[in-house]
Amino acid sequence: MTSEALTRMARCAAEQIRNHHALLSQLDSACGDGDHGTTMMRLIERVASGVQVAPGAPLRTVFKDAGWQLLGGDGGASGALLGAFVLGMAADSPQAGSEMGSREVDSALAAGLRNCRRYTEAAPGDKTLLDALVPALAAFSSAAGRGASLADALREAALAAQGGAEATRHMTARAGRGRSLGDATLGHQDPGATSIALLFNGFYQGFIGSERGTDHAGY
Amino acid sequence: MGAKVIDGQGGSSQTGRAIAAVRESPRGELNAGDAMKMKKFINRPEKLVAELLEGFVLSQPARVSLVGDRLIARARPKPAGRVAIVTLGGSGHEPGLSGFVGEGLLDISVPGEIFAAPGAPRCLQALRLADRGCGVLLIVLNHAGDVLQARITLDLAERESLRVRPVITRDDISGGADRNARRGLVGFLPVYKVAGAAAEQGRSLEVCLDVAQRMESNTRTLAVAVRAATHPATGEAIFELGDEEMEIGMGQHGEPGIGRMALKTADETADLMLEALLADLDVRPGEELLVILNGAGATTLMELFIIFRRVHRLLADKGIRLIRSAVGEFVTTQEQAGFQLMISRMDPELTALWDAPCDAPYFTVR
Repeated sequence: MTSEALTRMARCAAEQIRNHHALLSQLDSACGDGDHGTTMMRLIERVASGVQVAPGAPLRTVFKDAGWQLLGGDGGASGALLGAFVLGMAADSPQAGSEMGSREVDSALAAGLRNCRRYTEAAPGDKTLLDALVPALAAFSSAAGRGASLADALREAALAAQGGAEATRHMTARAGRGRSLGDATLGHQDPGATSIALLFNGFYQGFIGSERGTDHAGY
Repeated sequence: MGAKVIDGQGGSSQTGRAIAAVRESPRGELNAGDAMKMKKFINRPEKLVAELLEGFVLSQPARVSLVGDRLIARARPKPAGRVAIVTLGGSGHEPGLSGFVGEGLLDISVPGEIFAAPGAPRCLQALRLADRGCGVLLIVLNHAGDVLQARITLDLAERESLRVRPVITRDDISGGADRNARRGLVGFLPVYKVAGAAAEQGRSLEVCLDVAQRMESNTRTLAVAVRAATHPATGEAIFELGDEEMEIGMGQHGEPGIGRMALKTADETADLMLEALLADLDVRPGEELLVILNGAGATTLMELFIIFRRVHRLLADKGIRLIRSAVGEFVTTQEQAGFQLMISRMDPELTALWDAPCDAPYFTVR
């Protein structure tokens, strides 16, 4: 994965959010105050406009810049968790290298999750974005461990994120703003987990697009 | 239009419902099943926060100004050698939280987006700017986003060797027995007040932290809502509540609470809420209380006074001393109708700090 591929992945992920922000807000009105789509739009536009990627730039720098934009986007819990995640990835990425293989990406993703969980007590099953993120990372890790290509690992991560997001429908919120709603959140898919599924789908589409040299981002 | 908690002549819930129904029907503006339409004076939704902050500081130039990256600070920073008090929280709750920046209260407030916590980088900037060499007390209302951003901010501050102590306010008893599940409601106000007064008097960071924590642990709040607010950026209602219903335990962002029930009278509602608060704080006869009654945005002062009179009478009947009080709008949720009832157990030191002078745009003691 080069900085060019990463740029394309981020662009496709942003496109997924833009195309589905109304759905995200609608999901949030069942579990929160109905503005998750607005928040995610603000965060991705900050990354899009605030991160300049020079050709051949070290990925560590790209992650670091993106992490600070996410953290600084006044995005409540989502901004904090996504920012901490990407900054955690930055800290684990190679100091200089402008390319990362699937094992290096796997290690960075794991570091991102660890950094995220330093700040939140939420656990998988609590109906938060972790319910999509944790299975996505596990799927990526197991694919990378089998020696799968980055494209295959990303595809499995995207599918797992999707499955994880859908599974939140059967969960009762035990963390975040949804916690006070308890059982009323049953039957509603978690907006944060849905965002993660959209982002990972975008990462996969962007990555295969960069391999094919197209910007195709089908859903 | 809209349901109000009104004290009926007989004081029965039947009367309250009848009054609400009569008020609704003649103009037929709000029929069951109608989606609530947003009617607000705004320009562009994405400019809401920038424009409200601009107007706020322009309206109070002697007291507050915008500094750094959209931070609300005192117009005249406090002298060196004093502890600083900083808070953070989403916008859309005016005059909370920035309305309490001023002498004897906060040094800097970090306003977030509508109903969303500000990012850690801006909070860190606030800590740097506020520090007068004696450390900073960071007061955070217990909401997921605020607490997460605050934890990251504390990590960043530690790397810069800033001395920062956090206080998390968790006064909402509807969260149940687990204190971490209790949200921060209007109970932030006495915490700001006593910590701000102690800081102004030149007390150490440890003393400021101690009085803030003592105030926090002796404060309980319960909220009730009778009508939903619309989210000013999305234009959508943030929850649904039937015309003749009320909900006790409603959160500051309209998050549903613990009990939805038929609309009751002012007296019945006050009794229900006060009893729950007194039991939770375990208040005994002879003890001294501060009572704050906070309007959610669309509930009139008329209603708040009717409620307050009942709270006053009930406490007198129980031999509990209501020694200080404040009635008004301190933290709102747009046009949500309802109120928060807050009680704090006071001791002589906390009372003296509550009485100390302060001068903020929306809270002044002379």
